[in-house]
Amino acid sequence: MAKLVLNCTVNGEPAEVLVQPWDTLLDALRERMGLTGPKEGCGTGDCGACTVHLDGKPIASCLLLAMQARGHVVLTIEGLGRPGALHPLQDAFVRHGVPQCGFCIPGVLMAAAALLTENPHPTEEEIRYGIAGNLCRCTGYTKMLAAITETAGAAAGRRS
Amino acid sequence: MSTVMKTTRDVKGIGLSIPRPDGPEKVTGQVQYVADLSPRGLLHAKLLRSPHAHARILRIDVSRARALPGVRAVLTAADIPELKRKAPTRAHAVLAIDRVVFAGQPVAAVAADEPAIAEEALDLIDVQYEVLPVSADPLEAMKPGAPPVADAGTEADTSEAQAHGSVAGVTTEAKPAKAVNISQQARIQRGDVAKGFAESDVVIEKTYRVPMVHQGYLEPHAVLAQWDTTGFLTLWSSTQGSFNTRSEVADVLELSENRIKVIPMECGGGFGGKIRALCEPITAILARATGRPVRYVMTRREELEAGMPAPQVIIRLKTGVKRDGTLMAIEGEAVLESGAFSGAVLAVSGVFLASLYRWPSFDVKGFEVLTHKPSIAAYRAPVAPQTIFAIDSQMEQLAKAIGVDPVEFRLRHLQREGDKMANGQPWLSNGGVEVLTRIAEHPLWKKRAEWKASSPTGRLRGTGLSLGGWLGGLQPTGATVRLNPDGSVQVLTGQVDIAGTNIALAQIAATAYGIDVDKVRITTGDTDVAPMTGLSAGSKTIYTVGVAVMEAAKDARNQTLEIAAKELEASVHDLEIDNEKVVVRGVPDKGITLAQIGKKGNLYMSKVQPVLGVSHPAFSQQAPAFCAQLAKIEIDPETGEVTLHDFVVVQDVGKAINPLAIEGQMQGGAVQSLGMALTEALVYDDKARLTNPSLLDYRKLTAADLPNIETIIVEKPSPHGPFGARGVGEPPIVPAPAAIANAIEDATGVRLTELPLSSERIALAIANAT
Repeated sequence: MAKLVLNCTVNGEPAEVLVQPWDTLLDALRERMGLTGPKEGCGTGDCGACTVHLDGKPIASCLLLAMQARGHVVLTIEGLGRPGALHPLQDAFVRHGVPQCGFCIPGVLMAAAALLTENPHPTEEEIRYGIAGNLCRCTGYTKMLAAITETAGAAAGRRS
Repeated sequence: MSTVMKTTRDVKGIGLSIPRPDGPEKVTGQVQYVADLSPRGLLHAKLLRSPHAHARILRIDVSRARALPGVRAVLTAADIPELKRKAPTRAHAVLAIDRVVFAGQPVAAVAADEPAIAEEALDLIDVQYEVLPVSADPLEAMKPGAPPVADAGTEADTSEAQAHGSVAGVTTEAKPAKAVNISQQARIQRGDVAKGFAESDVVIEKTYRVPMVHQGYLEPHAVLAQWDTTGFLTLWSSTQGSFNTRSEVADVLELSENRIKVIPMECGGGFGGKIRALCEPITAILARATGRPVRYVMTRREELEAGMPAPQVIIRLKTGVKRDGTLMAIEGEAVLESGAFSGAVLAVSGVFLASLYRWPSFDVKGFEVLTHKPSIAAYRAPVAPQTIFAIDSQMEQLAKAIGVDPVEFRLRHLQREGDKMANGQPWLSNGGVEVLTRIAEHPLWKKRAEWKASSPTGRLRGTGLSLGGWLGGLQPTGATVRLNPDGSVQVLTGQVDIAGTNIALAQIAATAYGIDVDKVRITTGDTDVAPMTGLSAGSKTIYTVGVAVMEAAKDARNQTLEIAAKELEASVHDLEIDNEKVVVRGVPDKGITLAQIGKKGNLYMSKVQPVLGVSHPAFSQQAPAFCAQLAKIEIDPETGEVTLHDFVVVQDVGKAINPLAIEGQMQGGAVQSLGMALTEALVYDDKARLTNPSLLDYRKLTAADLPNIETIIVEKPSPHGPFGARGVGEPPIVPAPAAIANAIEDATGVRLTELPLSSERIALAIANAT
């Protein structure tokens, strides 16, 4: 079957890549664009490791066909921040010692970033539900909660 | 290996909460795991797996698959000359030869240009099976006449069991006739158990069951294999031990180990499940067959159906005490379901059952039983959570039965340093008493009666605690420390850093050498360049590799001072390292910088030797590490739903090298323990097929299920660990199942003995009790 041309915006830049009709958005990002930050932990939308933003909303990129992103705006962990210019959430995750194996971390950060955009002053319960779609096996989530809470609080402090 | 280290100045080193330096790479998605590698010419592998747990393979036709465009290789056992019958391990059973022994066992392998083509090729392979009767239940499988799992004459894999057994002094018995699926058995005895029970006032007998559970690492098994034209194999692997992987692959492929290089990539979690080789051999064989790099990444379904989970453990315990609380006798039988291949560790269970507490007489038997399920592997403190669930539940019930405080009862009978373990060897220094005492002082324990009394209408509140631990792992290891020409320090080991151990090792090097950790770089080398280094497993990275790094750093420091002594014409004993400079004590302007010394080691025609500290120790002394956990819960008796309100972890770490990383270990381990306690189980039907092969149905705990995990670090120095450190990783996964069961009994009066303590089980038990 002939490949298809996918045009979309990825991490602020226009992107044009050839994809297979059956490629998921995760396949396209990882295998066709070299953006390997989003991870495949299950391929069935249960673990959250592949979370990216589509038009600002967090989605499981393993459940979306790549061509469904045509004309849309995609943000991956690579676009959230980079070493030397970390997003405040990324910075807080490092300082709080959140990452252990690190495999779930890109997905958790994308879910947390979307949460804080939508709800800048979340309660502890709202944070817990905000990342409940992201499984982590190393951390027990406690330090994640601290890092996200601190980031939300710091942002609130800057605004007031 | 002294525990007191003299540094000439307070450097930034051990004891500080320092975030791992690779944190920024981890939070930006820059860190590379195996599945992120795509070398030029990459092919993708897929495996055809048996849908049946036990079947004879009558015929395999791969002709249509081979004809599919984009397919580069289709292999069956007949294409792999190294394969032999009676495979002793999973790694050796690369593809099934003529019989499959668990559902999910690979029978054919494909390499293709795209994953989708490889998958399509799997559909084109035609396999005819003759389905055979299965052994799906370990207690049934133990009986004479049960459908046999292994080929007659297959050796039990006692490599691990013998290592542990020799420490534990467990006697192995000849197996009884016709019980074909009992692959190992052992027994430990002391005193007269029958007399002990006869003289007991209270005897309690219960059977505890813990199902197979999966380690649950988020990154599925993955490997990339490539051969060069000289027949040299390179493997990029998600492994907990590159040297172990190299040895296993060399054994299966009948290659010399110096023809294989294993590059340990970032490991996305292992917890014991990535110690033994699993898909490395078949990936290497596909790469050999195609002459191309081949990448194989397991799907989550494959992980759950055909990974290497923890064994199902069934423990029958009978215990007797006198009314005054005197322990009299314990009799136990532990059945470990090992799946289709042998490899379980019986001794851990025996030591904890018979000698965690001071039983004057004991008789404990252990059986490893094969069934038609995927073979098992280690899972963080293998068999300890299952065993502690049994013995700690039993201790709680005994205390209640004779009306004594359960903490005082445990404290009174807990083995101390010097007491004899089941094998006659003495317990070594440990903090069991200290962590149990500390958790009993916690306000949540002191206020447990108020919490229970505060139950609102329609809810039941309770508190429970438990004590468990890990004896500590040992393995020879090595490290080098060198001084760079710019005065910075470089540490090299082969240690796979999963959890953040490299920063702690760098802190050890910093303190031992006398330089700030910011000036220390630590590298994990591959099997071609690193000193031989053991597994990242068994809570022994800091305890053993930490010693190697400490000794190598001291060696480098001594070499540095000797060079400085010559240069400064001073005695070594008068020198100290202060602020990256070797100075003569009391003469602050007489000195030479580390950079000057480092440069002299790399100058043309220089007579100064480069500084290279080396250590490659072996070990004989374990450091048992204990952990106590407390759960404050609320139950809806109608639905059985458990709400965790608070959870406390108290752990003896010997010396906290990096408290931040240790807290992360304690919290993560506790949540795995809670998952085993509350929700996790691999559920098989009567044909031994997994019924819940997805993360929707294999239920791990999420952030929404949990409270914050409170951590309290206790430091009782170990005599042999670096700066007194003990292992940290295993202990926190041990106590939660018993702590939750004890809390449920406190809340409801109902005692549950089978994990997981699911809502359904709790609701039914409450309904049956009323």
